[in-house]
Amino acid sequence: MVEVAFFFGAIGAIGGALAVVLLRNPFYSVLALVVHLVFLAGIFLLLLSQFIAAAQIVVYAGAVMVIYVFVAAYVGGIEEPMFDSSPKLRIFGPIIAAALFIEISIAVLGSSLTALGTEGVAKVESGFGTPEAVGRLMLEDFLIAFEAASLLLLVAAVAAIVLAGRKDETTGPSATVPAGSTGPGEPG
Amino acid sequence: MTPLLADTNFVDATWIMVVKSLVIFIVILSIVPVVLLAERKLLGRFQQRYGPNRVGPYGALQPLADVGKLLSKQGFRPKGAVPFLYEIAPAISIFAAVVTLAILPFGDVQGGVGLYGIDVPIGILYFFAFGAIGFYGLLLGGWASGSKYSFLGAMRSAAQLISYEIAMGLSLLGVVMMAGSLSLVDIVKAQGDIWFIVPQIVGFLIFMVAGFAETNRVPFDLPEADAELVAGYSTEYGGMRFGSYFFAEYMEILIISGIASTMFLGGWMGPGPPLLDPIWMLAKMLAITFFFIWIRATLPRFRYDQLMSFGWKILLPIATLNVLVTAVLVVVT
Repeated sequence: MVEVAFFFGAIGAIGGALAVVLLRNPFYSVLALVVHLVFLAGIFLLLLSQFIAAAQIVVYAGAVMVIYVFVAAYVGGIEEPMFDSSPKLRIFGPIIAAALFIEISIAVLGSSLTALGTEGVAKVESGFGTPEAVGRLMLEDFLIAFEAASLLLLVAAVAAIVLAGRKDETTGPSATVPAGSTGPGEPG
Repeated sequence: MTPLLADTNFVDATWIMVVKSLVIFIVILSIVPVVLLAERKLLGRFQQRYGPNRVGPYGALQPLADVGKLLSKQGFRPKGAVPFLYEIAPAISIFAAVVTLAILPFGDVQGGVGLYGIDVPIGILYFFAFGAIGFYGLLLGGWASGSKYSFLGAMRSAAQLISYEIAMGLSLLGVVMMAGSLSLVDIVKAQGDIWFIVPQIVGFLIFMVAGFAETNRVPFDLPEADAELVAGYSTEYGGMRFGSYFFAEYMEILIISGIASTMFLGGWMGPGPPLLDPIWMLAKMLAITFFFIWIRATLPRFRYDQLMSFGWKILLPIATLNVLVTAVLVVVT
């Protein structure tokens, strides 16, 4: 049963990830990413990490991807690529992809695969992966890293507001207001 | 017993789970047409007219006639629509709505059976997760219809959902902090002394406002503002596909009512023997649903910029303040 669920999730996740790269239409790519994230959440569930699974859906599929879809739906629907890939990119692209593949392979072979063939699930104590357990980890054992990450996000949010607000000062009231600055989330 | 996917607080036998799923499904499925009829009858009364009164006694068979009409219609797809997405979008909507019903608790464990679909430790996050998936039903429907009205409706609902989901999450955080658990069953049990609507009245009001926005109901029904957008994301839909959207929307109202009763109104708590618990829960849900209908007959629609500035500049700061004050009070007391 677990095996069936795992392969179901794995095939969905890999299929979604492949579709993200292979599809030409950006809107479909974004949708494929959503599918990928949902199946990935299923795999997290198999690892008994229900909080991570829920957070994955709420944060990524529910918030981040909604904004992606928002943008892709407005400017998307374009079947041809937005720009011609230059000869430089055609050489460097595969090299970087290969380097990334080697790096990830080293990381995976060096750590995760050692757990193969062991009874991984049977060893966890009850309550593993619940919000209580994750919260205890974040606010007791890894408090500094957690607070540092939140500070980083706050800085990014403030920076985004500053960048978005600067346009109005430089252009002034008489200048033409650029399209797309009609307010937060106003669709045209 | 090793759980298959994740730890839950109470595990029933598999056959009980199947029976429970069927019971929840059938009960809610038969309540939706009743709510539909109640809405039309009540709207009629609010507006000094009768409402449906031709089909059956007092118009009671009107929903059946409506469903029969929708079922017999041709499954039509506009020329510009994207085939697969157009067809799957209403299914996503109704799937997300039905799945969320599983966490609404209608009572504690009675006679070895938990009177709820499943009691997950992530509790309320489950509701938000499937709300996020249900949103794709609206968005895909609007986008794949290949119509400007549908597209604008879908985009409006996207913007609205992002804006009000944050306020909704924050409004429930106060309750979660007071109960010390995300599980809906534990939250109801924590309301033995006093319902959370009393200490968390601000949270309750914010939740209700955000709930109206999440379900696209008046005064936040801009995604389907009929004066501007025909019918928003469902403009190009007909037959039972439109029926699915319609059904999902009313189920969402029932779910928001259920979550509000659970989080703020003491869930299944009420006088009488434990056997009455599900009745109490259902009564509270329907009372809030009545409030939804009442508001529809009372308030006019917001303007779009009002909707956005209300969500971001008023609702969100109040919700944040509520969380801060609650956090301080929970730590102090």
